[in-house]
Amino acid sequence: MRVLVCLKQVWEPESLFDLQGAELRPRPPLRRKISSYDELALEEALRLKDRLPEARVTALSVGPATVVDALRRALGMGADQVVHILAPEQPPPRPSTLAAWIAAWAREQGFDLILAGVMSEDTMQGAVGPMLAAKLGMPAVTSVVRLEAGSGSLEVEREMEGGRRQRLAVQLPALVTIQSGPNQPRYPTLSNLLRAKKTTPFTLEATGLAAPIEREKVLAMAPPEKLRTGLVLEGDTAQKAERLLAILRERALL
Amino acid sequence: MVVAEHAQGLLAPVTWELLACAGQVASDLDLEIAAVVLGQDAQPLAQEIARCSGVKTWAVEVEGLAHFHGEAQRLALAELLPRLEAQVVLGAHSTSGLDWAPALAVDLEAAYIPGVESVSLEAAGPTFWRSAHFGKVREKLSPVAWPLVLTVQPGAFEAAPPAEASQGEVEVVHLSAPPCRTKVLEVVEGAGTDAGLGRAQVVVAAGRGVGQVENLELLRRLAGLFSSAALAGSRPVCDLGWLGYSQQVGLTGATVTPRLYLACGISGARQHTVGMQGSGFIVAVNSDPQAAIFNLADVCVVEDLTVFLPALLEMAGG
Ligand SMILES: Cc1cc2nc3c(=O)[nH]c(=O)nc-3n(C[C@H](O)[C@H](O)[C@H](O)COP(=O)(O)OP(=O)(O)OC[C@H]3O[C@@H](n4cnc5c(N)ncnc54)[C@H](O)[C@@H]3O)c2cc1C
Ligand SMILES: Nc1ncnc2c1ncn2[C@@H]1O[C@H](COP(=O)(O)O)[C@@H](O)[C@H]1O
Repeated sequence: MRVLVCLKQVWEPESLFDLQGAELRPRPPLRRKISSYDELALEEALRLKDRLPEARVTALSVGPATVVDALRRALGMGADQVVHILAPEQPPPRPSTLAAWIAAWAREQGFDLILAGVMSEDTMQGAVGPMLAAKLGMPAVTSVVRLEAGSGSLEVEREMEGGRRQRLAVQLPALVTIQSGPNQPRYPTLSNLLRAKKTTPFTLEATGLAAPIEREKVLAMAPPEKLRTGLVLEGDTAQKAERLLAILRERALL
Repeated sequence: MVVAEHAQGLLAPVTWELLACAGQVASDLDLEIAAVVLGQDAQPLAQEIARCSGVKTWAVEVEGLAHFHGEAQRLALAELLPRLEAQVVLGAHSTSGLDWAPALAVDLEAAYIPGVESVSLEAAGPTFWRSAHFGKVREKLSPVAWPLVLTVQPGAFEAAPPAEASQGEVEVVHLSAPPCRTKVLEVVEGAGTDAGLGRAQVVVAAGRGVGQVENLELLRRLAGLFSSAALAGSRPVCDLGWLGYSQQVGLTGATVTPRLYLACGISGARQHTVGMQGSGFIVAVNSDPQAAIFNLADVCVVEDLTVFLPALLEMAGG
């Protein structure tokens, strides 16, 4: 079984950002990581490999040179092979473009299973995975919390609103997007990391891959909307605590 | 064209929000609104939409579609929508909508804008706002090609009020079972919601920022200050097993509306806030001054909760 995992590199969620025109700039320290759902998708792939030792896991990421760090971490966790589609960070490619680039490369590779995150942690579009599947003519099942592989087929459990779940049988090849559950991603091992350090990922230039024109355009960025007044408490810790207690008492909440 | 969301024979509330969003877009583009309900037994639901909203509704009875099935829904819509010349297709940015909408956009060669939270009507046509970068910024998009597939963030639009106008027309369409490569075997009910959580006047909610399971004790003690309080959590906290899934608040968990919601170490992702945004008074404690949760809090405490909560408890004598 050949498994492809799509990894997106994101900024650390706690990074502070400045808005400059239509571009968002993170403030130092500049720290990036693998989007958490994608790390869970890689974990699922590695669990399949633990059970089916002949399975081979390829991790792929589209982005600037920095995504090599994400790919090295994937090797550290146990991926067999990594692929980098080199693309500029700005302006961020639309999901349909990302899906087209990945499809252009993956089409000839004969993957049995493709895993993606249910959404990217930062932009939460949930689009690249199912779009990639559609471009490759594969079925997709999203929001999967449990996955069991048989020969030529897959049994998955996907989550729905209100915590209800749906069990499905899926014919391979197929794409599955992974939602968080009790599984936590494994840590990279030292020996794998040493191996990863010496590995240069197989790199393709996005400019050489076919993609249709983008059908939507980002026109502007703006600070988030304030839905409530949001009184920001000032002072030191004790003063804030005192103020909060006073507010709760005033409102007869305490 | 609004794609209704339903489960177990009932329309999901987000369906009315989709109609509200569609109303804004349609008035701007001078389009007619219609809705579509897919299912084995779609007619009663189509009747309900047509009666309450006044819009024309298609009851699409798909053979074998007893439960929601993303692949079947996508294939049925891909066959049907071009025939109906739908210019704009709206689904929910929910686990169901996300299962069919992106692939449908590829099938229809449509523009795709996911997670729409508001619409601005501008001279050049409607533009759509959505959250990006962990909710720390919003981006405004416009389609540059048609048709357009949108998914709408649940909880972002006020449900459209019942129409005073006359009942909408219902048209029934029968479709044979689409050729699917996935098959629904079973639907399993969820953990349900903790009864205490639904009743509590105060909800103290833990997020990943709690850091360690031991720190939950601080939140328990905080809850102990109030006479009717319950502990709840964001999804990661439930995934880690620190709290049960019956205590999860959000899109895939419970919706709560206590008098007071105390969010501790919660970033404020839409999937969480949709379950608590109706709370009477919201206090957020988070060490990140840009955390999205502060945009819907009444009181913002920018502090490390492991420092702030002990100080608060000591002062309150709890
Ligand atoms: C389809 C789908 C459905 C989902 N359904 C739900 C749902 O029902 N409910 C839900 O909650 N989520 C749901 N999610 C997940 C959701 O998108 C977010 O990932 C989740 O809500 C984040 O939880 P969090 O805020 O606890 O963690 P994080 O996003 O990791 O945030 C942790 C926060 O803690 C702060 N912090 C860290 N350390 C400290 C400290 N010492 N003191 C104070 N603050 C600190 C950080 O600044 C950060 O803001 C769903 C996701 C998807 C894709
Ligand atoms: N730049 C990228 N490189 C590789 N995979 C990506 C990239 N962007 C998104 N993905 C995959 O698509 C999923 C959904 O992303 P999104 O549509 O942005 O929410 C992610 O969880 C990844 O698995």
